[in-house]
Amino acid sequence: MELRQGDEIRSAPRLMTRERMRWYVDALPTVEANDGRVHFSVPTIHDDDEYAKGQGLPGIISDGMITTNWILDLLLRSFGTQVLEDQGALLTKFIAPVYEDMPITCVLKVEGVQLRPEGGRRLALKVWAEDGAGKPVTVGTAAVNLV
Amino acid sequence: MATGRYSSDLQEGDRFGPVEVMISPFQVREYCHANEMHQPCFQDEPNPIVPPTMAHLEKLRFYTMYCPEGCGPNARVHYTFDVRWHGALRAGMPLMVEGVVRSRYMKRGREYMDVDITMRDKAADRLLVEYRDTVCLSYREAAKDAA
Repeated sequence: MELRQGDEIRSAPRLMTRERMRWYVDALPTVEANDGRVHFSVPTIHDDDEYAKGQGLPGIISDGMITTNWILDLLLRSFGTQVLEDQGALLTKFIAPVYEDMPITCVLKVEGVQLRPEGGRRLALKVWAEDGAGKPVTVGTAAVNLV
Repeated sequence: MATGRYSSDLQEGDRFGPVEVMISPFQVREYCHANEMHQPCFQDEPNPIVPPTMAHLEKLRFYTMYCPEGCGPNARVHYTFDVRWHGALRAGMPLMVEGVVRSRYMKRGREYMDVDITMRDKAADRLLVEYRDTVCLSYREAAKDAA
């Protein structure tokens, strides 16, 4: 893929449904237990309306790691999973809450393409996730090596 | 082993580990499935690649070990995810994982905490993942702005 500074790659929008938030919430104790069974989380701001309201929110909000993983997924779909076998970086900041059923689109924007002395290219990217109105909710940067 | 009752009791300089860790294929598949990352390198290989986003779970592992009563009276909010990877980390690989509370600081009236985590290939003593996690410890105040 020929990439130039300023090029953008956009994902299809996905709704941040209640189910998607809960999948992540319950994945954490399930992964932690590591016994092959599903485990359920204690109430969180990501899956329990009353708990979220008790924390001053109007309703549940998604865990920022979901949009981070969706950005990672777009990186892997765009550049291949081999980018995980070389050096790389991903930074995300969660700058606005993602509420239930908000449509989320992930975007990668090429900030720089550098030839590497050992061969291949290193891509510097601006990354973000935006809501249906185009307002960023998660922002950051990424760097990956391409052969 | 507990360093504090709650994660909000942690202080700058508090150290976690090192602990020996082996991430299982189940853990990778489950985490990636919850994030709708269905790439064969996560779902179909006997020793799947561990996505760098799973470094975040190592922080949660340490919180469970060192702060057994959770986050305390206020939910903490994850603010920044910052990971660098140096090669493929695969399930089944013996790892040494350690962490440190790098800093606690006030910014615009809110308290933040940075935790640094490293994950090394135990056999080769090779650094595979460096992760910095930033949380806001005064969530109620942050939530008022988010709402």
